[in-house]
Amino acid sequence: MVLDRSPRLDLVFHALAHPARRAMIRQLSGGERNLSELAAPLKMTFPAATKHVRVLEHARLVRRRVAGRQHFCRLEAAPLKEATLWTDSFRQHWEARFAAFDTLLDEMKSEEHARVRRP
Amino acid sequence: MSSTSPQGLRISTPTDTTHVLTRAFNAPRRLVWEATFTPDKMRRWMLPPPGLTMTTCECDARVGGKLSIAWKNDEADPVMTLRGEFTEVVLLEHAVHTETMALASGQTLGSQVEKHAFADQGAATIMTITQTYNSKEDRDGALASGMDEGMEACYQQLDALLK
Repeated sequence: MVLDRSPRLDLVFHALAHPARRAMIRQLSGGERNLSELAAPLKMTFPAATKHVRVLEHARLVRRRVAGRQHFCRLEAAPLKEATLWTDSFRQHWEARFAAFDTLLDEMKSEEHARVRRP
Repeated sequence: MSSTSPQGLRISTPTDTTHVLTRAFNAPRRLVWEATFTPDKMRRWMLPPPGLTMTTCECDARVGGKLSIAWKNDEADPVMTLRGEFTEVVLLEHAVHTETMALASGQTLGSQVEKHAFADQGAATIMTITQTYNSKEDRDGALASGMDEGMEACYQQLDALLK
């Protein structure tokens, strides 16, 4: 499966592996924010926030545009969607197993009923 | 991260190294336990990765008991193995076992500790599987192998539709 060896997905999961960056993504889901707006709720210095934004940019989760002295960040949803697709397949795998499990249990229950009825 | 499907499967990642799967089954605990740990029953629900067929399935759910599963494909028999040992067993309550997946060459694909816990919910049984990996990388790698198997399940459904 192509997605198993996806450097792009590696970057996305790395980017999501930090609470500050997840908080930033949540903030950005409400719309464009500048760097100080992103840094403020995290009680973070400007350079620290910039570092995190760079990781998000590198994973293409965030796009930055510069207007004068202001840096505005915007969420890019496509890589997140890919990540969701990928974890969904873990779910599909287990759903399939458990569906087979359900069928098996139904058979086991019928066999048991049959056994009880027989003298 | 946590999500629930219409079928009632709940998957969560409470820590960086664990997956927790919770699912209700419409059967008494005794039958769910039997289906989980009896080899001829396990063969029915442990869907193999794409292109592979399960050859060996041994499971002895007692403390010190072994778990041994092997798969083959067109080129090699076995092509992949799963080996483990039960470290904690309380009949019909819970069981903990180690497991290591390896290629025929001996190369290890990953190890984890798996705990199955069973609880009554009316006439149904809730099974909770907690998978604990050595590292976050190992856990996320397991997601990747799940992808292959998930895709295979889709292909099988497609095959059934096309028949």
